[in-house]
Amino acid sequence: MRADYGPRMANDTALLDSFGTISEAQLAELGWTLKPEGLCQDDTCVLVPDRGALISDVGLDLAVLGDLLDRPVAVDTEAGLAAIGAPRATRRRALDDLVAPDFTLPDLVGGGVTSLSDHRSKKRLLIAFSSW
Amino acid sequence: MVVDADHVVTELYAISNVPTVVLINEDDTIAMPNWSAYGSDLFSEFTGVESDRQHDRIRRWVREGDAGMSTSEAIGVVGDLSSEEEAARLHFRLALALRNRGDQAGCDRNFDRAAALAPEDWTIRRAMMPLRGQDPFGENFMALYEDWKAKGSPYHGVRGY
Repeated sequence: MRADYGPRMANDTALLDSFGTISEAQLAELGWTLKPEGLCQDDTCVLVPDRGALISDVGLDLAVLGDLLDRPVAVDTEAGLAAIGAPRATRRRALDDLVAPDFTLPDLVGGGVTSLSDHRSKKRLLIAFSSW
Repeated sequence: MVVDADHVVTELYAISNVPTVVLINEDDTIAMPNWSAYGSDLFSEFTGVESDRQHDRIRRWVREGDAGMSTSEAIGVVGDLSSEEEAARLHFRLALALRNRGDQAGCDRNFDRAAALAPEDWTIRRAMMPLRGQDPFGENFMALYEDWKAKGSPYHGVRGY
């Protein structure tokens, strides 16, 4: 069942209804398809060395999926809700290669969204703060 | 100004406290990674940081392209999140989603889990205080501050610049 806020969130993270497994339809909503060559998104496929670990009668195991895609996964099995984090490679590129990850977030006022990449070709001063 | 309720940026940039400043060049490269920098000296007694010096550094970067840190110095200067810190961010997100659904028990359960996973992370511990009806400047904050200080003030980023 689809969560009321949708399975895909901006910035390549996701929240979805799950008790630890997902259906192939949910996988498709996340942008991935299970093919004979592996887990595929657009032109990229990730090898699935042990399909038996990933696939069972109740669906695709989220923890195994997270490992295959190198993303953190957390599941609240009481609530039936799961969170999938961004690819770790994105953060590693920031820390090790100094490539600033793009993100898209809602504006404080006006109802729009802003992406870091909206201001590409300019110097950007990114300030993370809280009003507490 | 944008709002990051799910703390996605803290995951993408390994941010563990605020304010954290990142200087990003025109070509999307990071000139200064996570930097504990301030707009004023309001908290300088706590931080020991003189903001004027930091503002001068930013001006120099804008005008001359020199952020004061070489690429080789900047690479790897910010430590990656541990698997626990990663998981804490996801449980924080789950807590918010369950709070929005009206599942207070589920919200509390995930906030508790997030706090246990990342006890020194202010973007987790302090950020959840107002969401749990706690004063972010009150007793819980002071306890967090003392505990954090006793553990060497851990921070994913650059301080003292």
